[in-house]
Amino acid sequence: MSAATSNPQAPVVELAPFRGGRRWVVGGGAAGLVFLILTFIGMAVSPREAFYSYLVAFAYWCGIAMASVILLMIFHATHARWMTVLRRPVEVMAASVAIFLLLFIPLAIGMKHIYIWVDPPADLGREALRLLAHKRPYLNPTGFVVRAVAYLLVATFLSWRLYGWSLRQDKTGEVALTQRQRNLGAGGLPFIGIAISFAAFDWLMSLNPTWFSTVYGVYFFSGSLVASLSLLAIVTGMGRARNVFGGHMTDEHTHSVGKLMLAFTCFWTYIAFSQLLLIWIAGLPEETPFYITRFGAGWAWVGALLIFGHFFLPFAALLSRSLKRNPFRLGVVAGWILLIHYVDIFWLVMPSLHPEGFSLHWTNVTAFLGVGLVAIAFAVSRLRGRFAIPVKDPYLADSFRYRP
Amino acid sequence: MAAPNLSHDPLGELPLIEGTQTDQTINDSLLTHVLRGAGKGWWMLFGCALSMLGLLVIAISWTLYKGIGVWGNNIPVGWAFGIINFVWWIGIGHAGTLISAILLLFQQKWRTSINRFAEAMTLFAVICALLFPLLHTGRPWFAAYWLMPYPSVQRIWPQFKSPLTWDVFAVSTYFTISLLFWFLGLVPDLAALRETTKSKTKRFIYGLFAMGWRGSGRHWAEYKWAYLLLAGLSTPLVLSVHTIVSFDFATSVIPGWHTTIFPPYFVAGAVFSGFAMVMTWMIPARHFLGLKHVVTMKHLENMNKIMLVTGMMVGYGYLMEHFIAWYSGNPYEMGQFFLTRWHGPMRWIFRTMMFCNVVVPQIFWLKRFRTSIPVMWVAAILINVGMWCERFNIVVTSLHRDFLPSSWKDYAPTWVDLSLFIGTIGLFSTLFLLFLKFVPAVALTEVKELRHELAEHDVVAGETHA
Repeated sequence: MSAATSNPQAPVVELAPFRGGRRWVVGGGAAGLVFLILTFIGMAVSPREAFYSYLVAFAYWCGIAMASVILLMIFHATHARWMTVLRRPVEVMAASVAIFLLLFIPLAIGMKHIYIWVDPPADLGREALRLLAHKRPYLNPTGFVVRAVAYLLVATFLSWRLYGWSLRQDKTGEVALTQRQRNLGAGGLPFIGIAISFAAFDWLMSLNPTWFSTVYGVYFFSGSLVASLSLLAIVTGMGRARNVFGGHMTDEHTHSVGKLMLAFTCFWTYIAFSQLLLIWIAGLPEETPFYITRFGAGWAWVGALLIFGHFFLPFAALLSRSLKRNPFRLGVVAGWILLIHYVDIFWLVMPSLHPEGFSLHWTNVTAFLGVGLVAIAFAVSRLRGRFAIPVKDPYLADSFRYRP
Repeated sequence: MAAPNLSHDPLGELPLIEGTQTDQTINDSLLTHVLRGAGKGWWMLFGCALSMLGLLVIAISWTLYKGIGVWGNNIPVGWAFGIINFVWWIGIGHAGTLISAILLLFQQKWRTSINRFAEAMTLFAVICALLFPLLHTGRPWFAAYWLMPYPSVQRIWPQFKSPLTWDVFAVSTYFTISLLFWFLGLVPDLAALRETTKSKTKRFIYGLFAMGWRGSGRHWAEYKWAYLLLAGLSTPLVLSVHTIVSFDFATSVIPGWHTTIFPPYFVAGAVFSGFAMVMTWMIPARHFLGLKHVVTMKHLENMNKIMLVTGMMVGYGYLMEHFIAWYSGNPYEMGQFFLTRWHGPMRWIFRTMMFCNVVVPQIFWLKRFRTSIPVMWVAAILINVGMWCERFNIVVTSLHRDFLPSSWKDYAPTWVDLSLFIGTIGLFSTLFLLFLKFVPAVALTEVKELRHELAEHDVVAGETHA
């Protein structure tokens, strides 16, 4: 290979391809399928409960996958080098977005149980019916499915190209592939940014079709990104404990992932607070219903839990430097964030079904585990047989000696 | 992160410091423009700036003498140039804060050569901005009572639910922290000037402001901590200031003002316009002050990329506003976004805004344009224009056509409005030219530190820096 196409300074990495994760793929995948089947049974027995549960699970896991694609693209667009050693886990998390094309099918089938705009009842009220008629060109079953497929195809295409080029570089070491990833990483951002925003409008905001908020897409993105970073912290922590990365991933990398978690925890809070403040202070009848339901007696404590658990707790914990540098303790906080992000999505979705107050159905659990385990099994299967770090990336050496 | 030289980087990224430099050459080249006397060009520019400043004095005097009735404001356009210019100037300050705080926390080495410059612009822009609300109170000598937080002492209770009150807190905090940050960064450089200058008077003055800096190890250790802490404190300010400025509008119920995306969209717009202003001044300054070896094409390219990103965010804001205006089914929202803005009497301002803020930055997708000095300079100026139009569009266009056609009224600025605006550009330019004359425009010690870091980086990478 000539010096022009490969990198002369690439470090020699003594690392065998990743062979672990069998239990996740086989055991986890099978368990996931069982949970999915249980959820499908639930859909037959009590369709509204089960489809709502499925929507929560889908938005949660698909949001994380889409945010991972964005995270990967931001890494490329900013020409970041420190993260090269932890890029492979991000690539795999991003690549999991393809499976959501399949996992979307139940939503396409069950949308009439979830969204009132699919077939608005005549007793909805004159004003609401007028508004739904106005929105018909956008909120209609065909458009909903076509758009969802488009969002997922955009995300799948981007993650597939980026991961594909990265894997090819493992073999050939071509420097030009890094350039391609950077170009696509930057150039694709507007597309995926719009995709995740409108996905939030379609899947979640349209649960209450007369309600609207321009920042809703950013809200969904910000929560999903914190969750994606938390998942990354856990995955890299587990990988480090099992020596998957050949000892090349250090406390410095873990520390920086923790810093990003802290920053985006603040960002989520900023967006959530802005939306609440502006709607509360203006007090317009068309905007307040979203919060009136959630301020009601049955839901208020969930909102309070979000303020505490999605901001104060992780914020206070992540301020600690020693915590961020300890993969296990950071993993505990990350686990909490992943849990509280589920509460957030639950809080966005379920009040449309149970305005009177919090209520948990067994399908909430099966759908969460079913979608999650299948997605994780798919993601891990994409890594097996490949290197856990991009072994021939031209900036790998910079990443190894990262010391901010 | 950064590539020390061209040959070192596998993808040929441009260097952050050009040529073979030592501490001595950096010292000499970055202090020259302060130590040498003012040239003809400087005096010419200073004369222009002073004459615009004179216009400001006239306009302020006339406003104070006659009252704000000499402005073009009317009912319903109760807020016009005063607020447009306030928001525009405050926004311009944001590049400095982003560079000094966020880019520091993100360990971006390329911030080093441009932070001093941008932070100074922050301070001067905030001074220009503060003039407008102060004058808008009509009797600024009373404004101290109204705006200062002494409710129980003065027996005047500010409306704490009003974002205008929050603005006072936000902007004054912003100014204070930015000033401290800027001054802290200056201290070692002032000491360098104290040691270098030949004039006794100058040595005394620089020595006074250097506050006894001797460059001992302990000084540096504490300096570093203070710098990091101030960066941490400034980071929320990057978001909070323009967020609260956006609340001035978004907490109301006016179509075009009340929308939940305003906070992040205002912040993105502020950084966008701030970088455009930095580019507008940086491109000539690096040429005339001989700073091309430390403010390299790499810096300019990165700033262009930031303009592209923030411009796309602003474009995203426009898209969301338009989509939700339609989606809401609210006739007033639809009227504002699809009739008034695109086709109303102020349509040319709106269309100029769309062109300058959405279309123009797209050229920065291409490396050819990102690295072309004339192209980026023209683009930066257009973005300044576009962001001013955005504020005009938000303030005037939304107000002059609200709910009832019977309350609609057109708006035109008076000569006083225009003079105040041009006058603040004069004030900004005057302060900025004085800054370039009396302190180093590039953070000297930080560039030297960066040079050492990059050299060390090369040794670690197995190459010695030629």
